[in-house]
Formats: sequence, structure tokens, C-alpha cells
Amino acid sequence: MHKTIAFALVVLTGFSAGALAANQMVYQKGRVFSSENVSIKKGDALTFVNDDSIPHNLMSATKGSEFNLGSQAPGTSTDVTFKEAGDIQVICAIHPRMKMMVKVTD
Amino acid sequence: MPGLFPRRSNLFGTVVVAASIGAISFASIGLGAVVVGETRRIDLGSKAAPGIDSIKSQYKRPATIPFPKENPYTPEKAALGKKLYFDTRLSVSMAQSCASCHSPGFGWGDGLAVGVGHGMAKLGRHSPTIVNAAWGAIFMWDGRLATLEEQALGPIEAAGEMNMPLNQLMDRLGSISEYKPLFAAAFPSEGMSAKTLAKAIATYERTVVSERAPFDAWIEGNEKAISEEAKRGFAVFNGKAMCSACHEGWNFTNDGFQDIGLPSKDIGRGEFVPGVVKMQHAFKTPGLREIERRSPYMHDGSLDTLEAVVEHYDHGGVDRPSRSDLMKPLGLSAQEKADLVAFMKTLTSNLSPTAVPVLPR
Ligand SMILES: [Cu+2]
Repeated sequence: MHKTIAFALVVLTGFSAGALAANQMVYQKGRVFSSENVSIKKGDALTFVNDDSIPHNLMSATKGSEFNLGSQAPGTSTDVTFKEAGDIQVICAIHPRMKMMVKVTD
Repeated sequence: MPGLFPRRSNLFGTVVVAASIGAISFASIGLGAVVVGETRRIDLGSKAAPGIDSIKSQYKRPATIPFPKENPYTPEKAALGKKLYFDTRLSVSMAQSCASCHSPGFGWGDGLAVGVGHGMAKLGRHSPTIVNAAWGAIFMWDGRLATLEEQALGPIEAAGEMNMPLNQLMDRLGSISEYKPLFAAAFPSEGMSAKTLAKAIATYERTVVSERAPFDAWIEGNEKAISEEAKRGFAVFNGKAMCSACHEGWNFTNDGFQDIGLPSKDIGRGEFVPGVVKMQHAFKTPGLREIERRSPYMHDGSLDTLEAVVEHYDHGGVDRPSRSDLMKPLGLSAQEKADLVAFMKTLTSNLSPTAVPVLPR
């Protein structure tokens, strides 16, 4: 059990260290993504910033790249690292007009 | 749409593991191709609250109805769609039309708590209005249909509603001789099919737009168009009560899905997005145009009056993980509650009567 915890912590801190690099930012003010198409390199992260006045719930249902940020409070940001090449659709589960594509290249 | 989340994916297993480790704070983790990092607070700076003119500018009526490229407006299509909309022969029983549940007499709803379907059986949810459907981003209380064209066919085919298989319907309409020329005029190259039937009904529905209400006259600058009480209500709506966080813009909805804490077992949007906590018990935010004529209220028709609706929001509803973070006790005064209701009543237009069309024989 202890081993598992240590492993998990190492892995997780490893990822959050990536946040220090200058990630591309995606904003959500006014229930609109600041860009509808973003291109990044495999292994890089996007920083999703909720600069809106209400919560959002970003997620992807793209097969193999599913994720769910849950309710993201206004005034918070979350890094999402894309480790495999492909086209990934990111949506807000709450607001059906919020849709964007992330192109992850090799 | 049903395949959106075919399985809960390994994402869920991960969240459970992370939670049992404890002490690590982040929203959730992805496994495999996508990794979600921790969530940090950021400084958005302090913004001055927008002034009343800035708020009012967000409520201007649009000048034109949006029609999709795939199904542009023609008068022939809308006229055919209107006949189909009011034609009871679209149901297997020949007793129900679209208008049975979405009637112009009740603000394009049915005035009932929940809809009544095939064999007079009660349905699970309140019949939504079709007013301003042209601006909809997604359809049905649970968002299971993406376009108004799909929506038009949904209730016709649904066993519990009009119970009419589309093949059988097209055979029946094909035997009504006066329908043929109408389809030919509306769809010269496509003819008569379930697809063109859906396009015609959707085109007609897009023409059903709430007419100018006292609220619109006020937005355009006539200070006498609504009462001082209603103006205060508008301020509460956009301020303390934060109604406009969801009931946004001239049609008073951003089509978002929220669990507003109604004590119903229905999981709504959650059926299609099982892995997302906030979508459990979440339903699409309805617009508020003609709201005074649309009682009873809510997805389950459980609240009879606008006063009861305001009480529900003031209380905040059932506190559960899926409940929207925007739902919390508001501490509204009796005056503020009355003002909110007065404001909502300014959204009622002087609807001109809808003539029921003469139907093909
Ligand atoms: Cu959102």
C-alpha cells in the first residue's frame, strides 16, 4: 500500500511540474472558448482557465482520450497534458455551445 | 448521442483510487492519453459590476430567425410544416398531433404537469414549449437530440408518445392525395420522405417566435413599458439571485444543463453522460419567454406558480453532489421575490392568434 502511495505521488508531482512550462492557455469567459482550434505537440499541456463568472465542466468523449475536469470554479485553472497524437474534441458538459478541437501532433 | 459514453471508462477507477489515497487535491485524473493536473486558484482581478445599460444591451431581440444551411427557409416548407404540425394523422391513433402537447393556446406547451402520450398514458416529463426553438443549441430536456429536424421525428416515433413507425406514416401520408403537391412544391428535388417531413416541421417550428413583450419595449428605451417593481426584479434577476447565469440573453437560456435540486429520481442528462457528476439530475435550462402562460413549471411540472419557482431557488433545493454550484440559499426578501415575479410577467407578449390550418384530404 505504501509503495502505491509513493508511486502515485511521484507520478502526480511529476505532472504538475510540467505546469511551470509556458503552456498554451484556453479561456472560457462568456461561455465561449478563446480558441476553437488549438494545435499542440504530443506530451505538452494546455492550461484551461475559468476566467468566467460561473462554473464550467470541461471534458472529452473522444475515444482513448476521455477526461473530465468536473466542476471547474471561476478563478481556477487546470493543466491537461495530451500524450498521444490525434484530434481530440473538448466540450463543456454544461454548455452545449462550447466545443473545441485539440490537434495533438507528433 | 447515446454512444457518447458507452462505458464509464477507466477514468472512474482512477478517481476512486486517487480519493482513497487521500490528501491529494485535484478535480480528477485521466488515464492513458490524457493527464489532468491539479487545479490552481488564479487571480482574475477585481471587476466593477456592469451597469444597467450594459446589462440591458445583452437582452436585445435578434432581427432575424436563424435557419440552418442544410434546411433553409421557404414559405412552401413552412406552410407544409404547419399542416403536418397540426395533423393528428401523424400519430398511430390519429388522435394526437404535435400541437396536442405543444399548443399555441398554452404558450406552445400543454398546460399539464407532464405530457400525455399514446393511450392517454402520462409521460415522465413536462411538455416543453417550442417557442424560439430556432435558437436552440440542443433539444429535449436531456439534450438527447442534436437538431430540431431530429426532434420533430422523435415524438412521432416514440412508442409512448405518437407511436407511429415512420414507414407506416409515410404510407399513410402518401395515400392522402392533397399532401403530394405540397411536398412537391416544398421539396422539388427530394419529394416525400420522413426526412423532408422532418425538415418541413422543423421549418415551421422555427417560425414560432415569441412576439414583442413589454420587456422588449423597455430594453429599447421606453421607461414606461414596465413597472418599477419589474425593473427592480430585473436587477435581482441579474444580480443577487444570479438567474441570468443560466437564463441568459433575450430568450433567457444558454441551453445549459444544471441540476437545480428538484427532488426527482429522474437523472435527465446523466443518462447520456454517466461519468460526469454534475450531469446527474441535470436538465436543459428552458427559456422564459411567455413563462406566465406556461405553468405548471420545471421539467417535472412539480411547481404550480412562478411564486413557488422563486421559493425553490431561494431555498436552493436538494443539496447533493450533482447539484449545480450556482444553487445555494439566496436569502431573498419578500419584496425581492415579488419583484422577480413581476419582472417575469413582462416577458408575456401580445400573442396574435394562430390559425389552425385546413388539412389535406
Ligand atoms: Cu461551460
